[in-house]
Amino acid sequence: MEVCALPLSPSQRSKLISSGYTKISSLLSVSPIDLARDISVSHNEAVEILNVANQSGRFDKSDPKQWIVSGAQTAWDILYEEDFAPHITTSCGDLDNILGGGINCKEVTEIGGVPGIGKTQLGIQLAVNVQIPIDCGGLGGKAIYIDTEGSFMVERVFQIAKSCVEDIMENHNFQHTDFQACKEKLQPNSFLANIFYFRICSYTEQIAVINYLEKFISEHKDVKIVIIDSVTFHFRQDFDDMALRTRVLSGMALKLMKLAKKFSLAVILLNQVTTKFTEGSFQLTLALGDSWSHACTNRVILYWNGNERYAYIEKSPSLRSASAPYSVTSKGIRDATSHCKRTRMM
Amino acid sequence: MQPQPQDLLHLATQKCTLGCAILDRVLVGGIPCNSITEIVSESGCGKTQLCLQLLLTAQLPISRGGLSSSSLYFHSEFPFPSRRLHQLSLSFPTSQENPNPLDRIFVRGVQSAEELLGLLDRIDTIIVNPPSNVPVKLVVIDSIAALFRSEFDNTPSDLKRRSGLFFKIAAKLKLKAEKFGLAVLVTNQVVDLMGSDNGINGMRIGNSSCLLTSGRRVCPALGLSWANCVNSRLFLSRTEEIVVTREQRGSEETNEDVVITQRRLQVVFAPHLPKASCEFVIVRKGVFGLEL
Repeated sequence: MEVCALPLSPSQRSKLISSGYTKISSLLSVSPIDLARDISVSHNEAVEILNVANQSGRFDKSDPKQWIVSGAQTAWDILYEEDFAPHITTSCGDLDNILGGGINCKEVTEIGGVPGIGKTQLGIQLAVNVQIPIDCGGLGGKAIYIDTEGSFMVERVFQIAKSCVEDIMENHNFQHTDFQACKEKLQPNSFLANIFYFRICSYTEQIAVINYLEKFISEHKDVKIVIIDSVTFHFRQDFDDMALRTRVLSGMALKLMKLAKKFSLAVILLNQVTTKFTEGSFQLTLALGDSWSHACTNRVILYWNGNERYAYIEKSPSLRSASAPYSVTSKGIRDATSHCKRTRMM
Repeated sequence: MQPQPQDLLHLATQKCTLGCAILDRVLVGGIPCNSITEIVSESGCGKTQLCLQLLLTAQLPISRGGLSSSSLYFHSEFPFPSRRLHQLSLSFPTSQENPNPLDRIFVRGVQSAEELLGLLDRIDTIIVNPPSNVPVKLVVIDSIAALFRSEFDNTPSDLKRRSGLFFKIAAKLKLKAEKFGLAVLVTNQVVDLMGSDNGINGMRIGNSSCLLTSGRRVCPALGLSWANCVNSRLFLSRTEEIVVTREQRGSEETNEDVVITQRRLQVVFAPHLPKASCEFVIVRKGVFGLEL
């Protein structure tokens, strides 16, 4: 195989050829120091060239998709994977519908809204729902909950977990023996035990925990959702240097995106709303500015419409923008009450 | 040091009773520790009354719903109502071994937001080791709004500086609350809503589409950014009803107008509470809910 076939820069290629390295096989036995001297490049550059050569030497020629960049997938493969990617239900049918079946794993979803609209409630609901056993149509996973605001209340989690268990029991047809076994396994307390809860009191802590997540998740592979409630709070103080804030935030977003892909888990970022002064009037918008809006795959806005809570998909590469009502009940997130009446009448 | 997740099974939220079973039922046990609870109302609704009462109930032993603690009271509205506190202390016998509950209440006046921020940096010692030798578990700031409503202009740069301060104060309060297991209570004032439009202030936050007190539409002061800073928000309102009663005085009958003030406490938003409300009265002995 010729050196020309390697993915190198033209100058590197010409240096190699003019020094006599025309075949890849000739590169496999040379040391980086010798190569650096022979073609007069830096040591690091020589190491890089040898790495490229070594990798391509190992490639099976019958698998052309690996030829260009190792690790690349075809769109077909990605589509196939997406079709089978699991979803985490929100416990609200309408909301699941507009989300294409629930919260998508492998994606970063940002959810924002005014105080009291139910962001934390939705976060807790997802931390519980991710644990619904596989036999009952769930993921049987665990959750990481990063609390930056102190709104995570254990008594509320217990309440939601208890209702979740009751719903599973009611909707699932068990064989008699299964039922007993399942009942023992499905305890609200075990739901609590499967939520890894981190309480964060500053933005440096927040960054530290997010950096640590990769290690933590590789030790706890069954984590299927990471919820940050809220991503915003500590970034709205002490930042005089907005450029620095943007850099820190986008670094954080990239890390979370990478986690989502690597461990195929869902990342939920809860965000606050703020007012933005445009064209002489105040408009409501999610906090952290325009550059942050690129950080997430999906963006869902929660808002009041009359006396009903609605969710609206503002941004998504695969879902059409739509809105759906939901309600916050003592059991957790559920279908909007008026909707229930409507379907019952029909 | 690596961050460690906390064990949720042993992380029950402690709460501080309000000293009244009906009010406690609305708040499912009282004011929660490790978070910030805000009481919003117009003046004369009973914010300060409720705060003073809490300073006393926090001293109750844990078995009676208290925190068995001392408390810290920052006031920005002067003067401090010490006579009323004394009066209340007579009706809330706290514990046998502590004959004078006022010894466990530490009061400090604050004049500006910066001063408050500076004080919060230095309260660790008094929280852990106060003169009463009983650690502080309750911090009350009455009122947060008074600190912000005077010295800031309505210009973009001042508003930005102001909301930066909100987040700084809230973060510091939450940090202390988490570190020492404090219940933090702040009070806030209201502003009137002008006109019929749903402008940026008329935006619905929480359980009710609008907050009414004394027949006026109001919204909590300090705006949306401050609303993002508190964990729970309670609203106190009052309505005055004029009831005409016939009274017999001797031989002549007179119509007399009697003004009845109805007071109501409602949950605007809270991560652990459903929409709920109750009526209450303020009497000599304190603030009490009414069974309906």
